[in-house]
Amino acid sequence: MKVSRRDLLVWSAGAAAGLMVTPVPWKVLDDVSIWSQNWPWIPQPARGPVDVKQSACTLCPKGCGLRVRVAGGFLVGVAGVASHPVTRGALCPLAFGAHQLNWHPQRLRTVLHRRSVSTRNAAQMAFTKACSEGPVVVIDGYPGRAASQVLESFAKNRRGEYRVVLSAETRALAPYERWTGVPAALLGYDVENAGTIVSFGAPLLDGWGAPGHFARLWAERAAGTEDPQLRLIQVEPTLSRTASRAWQWVPVRNGSEAVLAAGIAGVLLEEHLVSARGPKPTLSLTAAGEQTGLGIDAIRGLARTIVARPPVVAIANDDSPEVAALNVVLGAVGARGGIVRRSRENKSYLAADTPISSARAVVIDSSVPWDFAPKTDAEVFRFAAWDGGSGSADWLLPAPGFLEEATDVPAAPELAVQSFALAPALTKAQHEVRSAALFLSGIDSALPTAEEIIHARCQQIFQSRVGMLCSREQTPVSRFAASQKLEEQLWAGAVWVGEPVGPPNLRCELKEWPTPSTSTRGEGWSSSWTAPVLPPLASKLVEESGLRQRAEGRLA
Amino acid sequence: MSARYGMVIDLDRCTGCGSCMVACAAENNVPALPQATTRTGLTPMLVRRVSNERDGAERREVFIPILCMHCERETPCVSVCPQQAVEVDKATGIVMQMPQRCLGCRYCMTACAYHARYFNWRDPAWPAGMEKSLNPAVAVRMRGVVEKCNFCHGRLHAAKEKAAAASKREIDPADYVPACVEACPTGAIRFGNLADTGDPVSHEARSPYAFRLLARLGTEPKVYYKSKEAWVRQLAESVSGRETEASREMKHV
Repeated sequence: MKVSRRDLLVWSAGAAAGLMVTPVPWKVLDDVSIWSQNWPWIPQPARGPVDVKQSACTLCPKGCGLRVRVAGGFLVGVAGVASHPVTRGALCPLAFGAHQLNWHPQRLRTVLHRRSVSTRNAAQMAFTKACSEGPVVVIDGYPGRAASQVLESFAKNRRGEYRVVLSAETRALAPYERWTGVPAALLGYDVENAGTIVSFGAPLLDGWGAPGHFARLWAERAAGTEDPQLRLIQVEPTLSRTASRAWQWVPVRNGSEAVLAAGIAGVLLEEHLVSARGPKPTLSLTAAGEQTGLGIDAIRGLARTIVARPPVVAIANDDSPEVAALNVVLGAVGARGGIVRRSRENKSYLAADTPISSARAVVIDSSVPWDFAPKTDAEVFRFAAWDGGSGSADWLLPAPGFLEEATDVPAAPELAVQSFALAPALTKAQHEVRSAALFLSGIDSALPTAEEIIHARCQQIFQSRVGMLCSREQTPVSRFAASQKLEEQLWAGAVWVGEPVGPPNLRCELKEWPTPSTSTRGEGWSSSWTAPVLPPLASKLVEESGLRQRAEGRLA
Repeated sequence: MSARYGMVIDLDRCTGCGSCMVACAAENNVPALPQATTRTGLTPMLVRRVSNERDGAERREVFIPILCMHCERETPCVSVCPQQAVEVDKATGIVMQMPQRCLGCRYCMTACAYHARYFNWRDPAWPAGMEKSLNPAVAVRMRGVVEKCNFCHGRLHAAKEKAAAASKREIDPADYVPACVEACPTGAIRFGNLADTGDPVSHEARSPYAFRLLARLGTEPKVYYKSKEAWVRQLAESVSGRETEASREMKHV
């Protein structure tokens, strides 16, 4: 049979049409689709036995308890620790994506000298030379750690200065330091025993203090009741996340929070609603009503509401003498449910934001917020795990990232009692990293190591016989037979919690009403962790939901 | 005994922190989409901010976490799926999505009254090396399929395995807690067996303050919300009713 060209075409068309009614093309399509999703460049999770370890978050100075899943030596998940005495299983949203930060594209992997690739030896030589030419200033963002002690010792040995960038919570306590002499870093808020909290712009439900600490307390004592045990009054120009959940929101004019504090104090003193007999604010109630936009009656009503459920404490978002003075009028300083001293130590810090005059070199620890830039002509050596891209440091040196370095975790800045935890290194950095403390130890061999300091701190806690060690069970320190056992449990994730400092722990009298200052500062991103980068999954909070606005200069 | 897993979300406790969203994405290996918008994002758990439309001191806002409602009756996504890629698990009541069967027609997205379904347009991508931080218990998301909340099904499997290893038929409720529930810092999201009258979540679902979104559709969602504020409860039925600001916002859910 002769096959013509036409027959061939007809047969081909028929075969093609027939094939379409069989499962073959669909099966091929399906298989190709599945096959193409198993190409080598499709990411696959790490394999290996999964371990669950307890640790503490080291992203910011809040030290929340972490339960970390580790697979094949890599961090694969983060959750809270329900038995943690402070955070009780709660974390900030950033912590849930923190295990991805070590792989962030902006991870600093090499030493940079004025944005050009350099070496650690070159940085060390430059630093040694600068040290020989003049004093050194060391700046720390997370004081109280063993590494901080190394940094401070180095500065002292070189006749330099050790300075600290304090958190917003600690800065808000600065007026009490000026008035009582007790360092702000040793003060805290006894929010557990407060009946009314008046927040002047402080993001109490949005990253203030250890994030879970106040959120849990609010959920237990304030949420969803018309007459809660804890009244949260939020003074803020905009309906923030905290304001929207507060028992009462007081919408004042932008920048008039301090004026309102003075107005409330004036009413309290004038109507004898408090026992204090201090100096009255110079600002009249009429002026306060006008400047805040609330009116006289509203301020009077607010003052009466505030004192209706004692103890009362006012919390500012930053250094605000007027809000601090209101606390003095309310009798909240040194009182139950107010501002308390959490330690009898007397260690104060030099603030980092004062101009640096005579230094030849400035060392900035990786714990210092990325947006901090020292005003100096000295050569700046900045340690950082992530490169925020617009830093002004001469040298950028790669530092350990999230849980890549063992460290100790002192109490969160707002706590009323001391606490101490240890965060073991749960993963290894994929490139050479060195913390500022280790770098300085390499230059000055006389410095104590962080391990020795941690060991000594554990022994100190053991010898004090004070407080409880909290893991799944709470064990008084006095029951431990050896310091080594206590330290082992701390490395396994337990947290030591001290006891409140007994009264009288703080006394404060107001000699004159503070001069009017500008308003308490607000921040775009209410968590006070000002890191150079955010975990990539922060996109769920920002772009993908619109729930938050990304603060300028912070990249994900 | 078959379970009916469900949630009660106490809106009076929700601070809108977004921990549930990030924990959900981390648990289920959902990639970050920094260029996405609220329309094109991939958020099996999405927290919406809704107001009472008042001004000044009377203005109130509430945060509503939106996820798959796991409808029990005449589940719209199940009935429209041509591939039987969606089904209501008889043993758990969970609306299951099987990506291997899904052909990506997106009928289910159209059918879902809550807009709780998302389409994976691209292969999942992370910055170099970041795949090592993914959850090994869950596969990466497939391209070309529809995604939604499955009450962290990987955790249910793990709980079942643990129970089987201990020669038990029933799982310990403490072993099966979805990531969002675990992450909520105020305990606003609670998870449990609605069929068990002794379960606290089942009890809360019967509270006079409990409500379900679009309950009038009759699909029996297994995600309940709870609020003591009347205007919040009214939101449930205003989704396609009055043209209010709140309802307009809810329409985008």
